Amino acid sequence: MPTLKLIPHLLSYAGIVLVLLRAFAGRRLLVAVASLIGFVAGIAAAVLLFRFCPGEPGFGLVRDVVGGGFLLFWGVAVTAVYRSTGHDLPMTWWDDLLARPAAGAAAALAASLVAGAVCACRLSSGDSLITYLLLILAAALLVLGAHALERQLPAAFAVAPAGLMAVVVALLVFSSASIIRLDLFSPLTMKVMKFAHDFVHQFFESMLIPDHLFIRTNLWGYIGLLFGKEIGFWGALVILLVPVFLVLLSINFEPLPQVAHIRQGAQRRRLLAEAIGSRRRRLVIPGLSLVILAAAVYRSLYPSVEYWDPKPVAVTATPAGEIFIPKKGEIDLEDGKLHKYLYKAGGKEARFFIVMTPAGKLSVDLDACAICKPDGYGQAEGTVICYYCKTLIPMETVGKPGGCNPVPVPFTVRNDGVHLDAMTIINTWGSTVQATARVKEAGK
Amino acid sequence: MTRLLRSAWALLSSRVTSPAVLGIFLLVYIVIAFGTDETLITLMAVTSASTALLMLLALLPLSSAARCYRETARYLARRRVLRGEPTQVPEGLFEETVRLPAGGSLDEVKGRLEAEGYTTSLAGESLGAWRGASGSWSRIVFLAGTFCLFAGILISLSTRTSHRQSVLEGEPMPTAAGGGGVVEKISLVPGTGRILSRDLTLQVARSEAGDPAKTCGLYPPALYRGNFVYPRYLGIAPQLKFSAPDFAAGKEAYYVLNIYPAGKDDKVEFAGSPYRLDVGMAEPGDGSDPFVSGKITLLFKLVKGKDLVLNGSVPLGGTFERDGYRLSFPSYRRHVITDFVQDYGVLFIWTSMALFAAAFLIWLPVRLCFPRGELAIVRDGDGMRAYARAEGGRTRHNGVFHEMLDLLESRAHDRSQGGAGQSEMAGN
Repeated sequence: MPTLKLIPHLLSYAGIVLVLLRAFAGRRLLVAVASLIGFVAGIAAAVLLFRFCPGEPGFGLVRDVVGGGFLLFWGVAVTAVYRSTGHDLPMTWWDDLLARPAAGAAAALAASLVAGAVCACRLSSGDSLITYLLLILAAALLVLGAHALERQLPAAFAVAPAGLMAVVVALLVFSSASIIRLDLFSPLTMKVMKFAHDFVHQFFESMLIPDHLFIRTNLWGYIGLLFGKEIGFWGALVILLVPVFLVLLSINFEPLPQVAHIRQGAQRRRLLAEAIGSRRRRLVIPGLSLVILAAAVYRSLYPSVEYWDPKPVAVTATPAGEIFIPKKGEIDLEDGKLHKYLYKAGGKEARFFIVMTPAGKLSVDLDACAICKPDGYGQAEGTVICYYCKTLIPMETVGKPGGCNPVPVPFTVRNDGVHLDAMTIINTWGSTVQATARVKEAGK
Repeated sequence: MTRLLRSAWALLSSRVTSPAVLGIFLLVYIVIAFGTDETLITLMAVTSASTALLMLLALLPLSSAARCYRETARYLARRRVLRGEPTQVPEGLFEETVRLPAGGSLDEVKGRLEAEGYTTSLAGESLGAWRGASGSWSRIVFLAGTFCLFAGILISLSTRTSHRQSVLEGEPMPTAAGGGGVVEKISLVPGTGRILSRDLTLQVARSEAGDPAKTCGLYPPALYRGNFVYPRYLGIAPQLKFSAPDFAAGKEAYYVLNIYPAGKDDKVEFAGSPYRLDVGMAEPGDGSDPFVSGKITLLFKLVKGKDLVLNGSVPLGGTFERDGYRLSFPSYRRHVITDFVQDYGVLFIWTSMALFAAAFLIWLPVRLCFPRGELAIVRDGDGMRAYARAEGGRTRHNGVFHEMLDLLESRAHDRSQGGAGQSEMAGN
């Protein structure tokens, strides 16, 4: 079973090695060796990382490294398109650096290190040493395979530096999208949604515009479009794909060679045709990156994970307005699973859940966040997921307010169980969730 | 010093400055996004607390002002060239510059250009021609708008203060120094415009401190003692009289309840007694707004310790009595949770919006219907220099420009040929 789970990561790694070998075709052996060393080092680094920082901090660091690589790719893409339009930048040092023999090895080492770390995140702490050794053996075989395959590719099949970066980053993003805690797209979607939400809110506040209470429903419906998950999805898609399009543009804008000094027309035409052909072939790799990124988005939207989503249990309050939920009984609150409850009173209702966090503390939260339609949360692999925007919330951060985190509710834990104030639950639900839900519904 | 000032001027008036500054803020935003989900709010807080970031932000209005000055100067310089006034033509003032041999007839070119619909100005050995209206004005208005926008953001971020207060009917306006005018009436009526569904007004009487009587509405917000009055949430404060068999002294007071709109509940704790009242607002069956109509029914639960004593509903103005318990709501006051905001940056941002709208309204018809095209020919030593620039209809304008150049060159060539022939004959 672990072998099947590792397939997307190993395929991504093989793709990275293959493209690196072609990009630095003059130093194949060095690149191949560096790729393998990098991969093994990445696995070792991830194992050490999770030993000292288990859970979310470890995953967060690996995710940030992949995110940092993507950010770097944005910079490379913008620079490439700027330079291709004839503008000069003082970047001869960079071109000199790329021409050095060690550049290929360094690139292979860095990319494989991240690929190895991502791959190791798929393995659980219970996996034996044999599993790791088999993984390294598989990586070595893939490097040999990529080395052999690269020699079969036609010589005309070239890789532009920005195109290399595009495909390496795309493969790393795809590889990380296969692990829900490393996925970049859904947090990006949430960040875009949150930005739109905060921007509208801050604009209203800054310009002293009255709140939705005073605005006509149909007008607020249009404003509500900015809060929908579609804004998050399309915004994140634009952020993810635009740098690849910039790389494609930069290759397409590359000036053709000067041929005015050649007197034979046939020679001029041949030179131009060769340059145009080479340019088109260099478009293939970034074009492929678009497909890989689209696959990463698909994996992010439809992860192969089943969520724990229990049916809410109805609860009542005492006459004094207190809801009591025992720690033990039909439901064990401390079993690490998310337990949902529904409280109804006087035509009003509120949904909330109780969960034991990895820190060993109980957390009571609304089954909804402050920015999304209240579709609720599910639980899987150390996270809870917002069903509306598909954002994963690490269990370690459940109980903290902000972003797409479930809205925390004040409560008291005693030996017997959890005590909640019914009015607080209803008011919190009403003020943060129902208003948001109306906005979303009107916006649709 | 002069060199330093020149460098500063070059930096401020460069087209690159604003995108570069915005790029830096984007990078800061991205870095913050790695650490928190409240990215925009954190960026605003970090910027307002950091002198370095505020100074960086200040480059945006300064750069807009510098560009505004520079582009106005360029517009005036181009106008002088077109009118034939003797002036130096700086590099890049026009899009195309061509050097020609002397000898062409400017009168003939003038006639041709007028036939093409250009307005011309022939002064000495300079010819200017133009058609359409200049879009430079819209650009200058746009830059002025950009200046106001970023200046407003800068002022807002660095000076904004806000105090949330409860404004209650019959009580003085809660100003920082006290002594505000009494809020005579708070009214909410159905809105008549296309934007606001309800109109809220706070009528404030003249204060003893000398503040004039004022009516504060929703938008634009009114100013009261230098603060914008920004109403946020509505509520009611019923006068509550309560007594119980073991609490005969009872309680009577106005209680501010956060129960509007219906669906929210609030609590009233009676100090010195074991009683607590949970209050909510009943949803009117006819779909009306209780705050507007004034017909408010309260749902209540009277709790003693942990026991429910009473449960029921009572309209405002009514009384509920049972088993020696008495709950009465003889009257109520409206209240509005209001932010008192001191922020003059808002005025700049409003101005910027008006300027952006004006710039767009000038630019659109000019660009679509009367795109500017400019040509100029000026004497330059023993030759001539021709300049051209177009804001739209570039193909047609460049066609005319190139025809004019061909004409001038051919006339100069004819003249030099003619001159050579004559001197050859004279030599014979």
